[in-house]
Amino acid sequence: MWTLPDILSVICRAFSFVLLLQAAGTALFIAAFGRRATDSLAGIRSFGCLSAIGALLFVVAHYILEPARMAGDMSGVLDPAMQALALQSPTAEAFGTRLLGLVVIALGLRLARPIVGVVGACLAALAFTLVGHTVVSPHRALLAPLLLVHLLIAAFWIGSLGSLYIASIREAPAVSARLTAAFSAMAIWLVPCIFLAGVSMTALLVPGLRVFLQPYGELLLAKTTLFALLLGLAALNRWKLGPRLATDSRAVDGFRRTVAIEYVLVCSVLTVTAVMTMFYSPEAA
Amino acid sequence: MKIQAGVALSALLAALVLLAWSSGARAHTHLEKSVPANGAVLNAAPENIVLTFAEPARLTALSLRKNSEPAQKLAPLPSATARELTVALPRLTPGKYVVSWRVLSEDGHVMPGDLSFTIAAQ
Repeated sequence: MWTLPDILSVICRAFSFVLLLQAAGTALFIAAFGRRATDSLAGIRSFGCLSAIGALLFVVAHYILEPARMAGDMSGVLDPAMQALALQSPTAEAFGTRLLGLVVIALGLRLARPIVGVVGACLAALAFTLVGHTVVSPHRALLAPLLLVHLLIAAFWIGSLGSLYIASIREAPAVSARLTAAFSAMAIWLVPCIFLAGVSMTALLVPGLRVFLQPYGELLLAKTTLFALLLGLAALNRWKLGPRLATDSRAVDGFRRTVAIEYVLVCSVLTVTAVMTMFYSPEAA
Repeated sequence: MKIQAGVALSALLAALVLLAWSSGARAHTHLEKSVPANGAVLNAAPENIVLTFAEPARLTALSLRKNSEPAQKLAPLPSATARELTVALPRLTPGKYVVSWRVLSEDGHVMPGDLSFTIAAQ
């Protein structure tokens, strides 16, 4: 049943999720901790900008593929009737908002205006509430803010991973350690909210426990498992490697390694999410 | 370098997840019922196919394939968004048929699906 447009689309969707949240999260990181960074700030801004540009490209590619997905083959890309349907669907509104959010993020980072970057991050996250299950659910009034919280904290996490990695390379060990400690102090309260928001959304969306015998539920469990692994690594950084950054030069390599693994796990969670939300529905169970 | 590897790994994981769950994807995630029903063995060729979805949807593509022959696109498709969608079928001869569809649901998702039925030889 899967066609070439489906496969290309899910790949573009996964890449766009990772890069969009990375860009948004970098803007949030700079707004929160930019004043503590010195040598790494320009590099972090560039990283965020490049992420925003990359996300823009994949968001556009994903949208271009929607008419092809509707048609079931690539000829749909050039089909005016399919293009018109895509334009009339909630997908178009979400696409436009996502693009706007990414442009604003890039501007905020390029012009060193943290508040602008935060506005862009919020717009980019808001786009996810304009399409999908939250649009038609009777619990939309609860689902939309939960999804926003879920996404913004996830963005903050993934953006911070890249930023802290850059800081570990470019900053003096003491500065890198202070940045990591500041992030950890905030993350310890925020990160559990990702799980709480996710569980709340699941409770509102799924019709019953039998959903976990269906692909949607199985993927949701996979996401949860990956998240649990992430928490373990984050705890390792928080309590073991992070505090040693200022005083132990060997800790830097270990820190970078765990941050890189965390990043790969986050990418995996977002990829599972891209597949799950694109092809499956909790209501189908 | 590690970040690029992470992004590339995500793409690979997407492909693997897709393949791993492809059998589950044959479940009719939004289709509530159909006439002919999935797996039905019929004594006479149906004139229409009726698809009933759990939520209103717009049919964007519908094709019919007999045995191992190339798929034939069916047209015209209803332009309305509705839970029950009816499409006329061409004159069918005995054999096994697979109907593949794509619908655009109100939340913006494009959902594919298929069902099969057999017309018994007389």
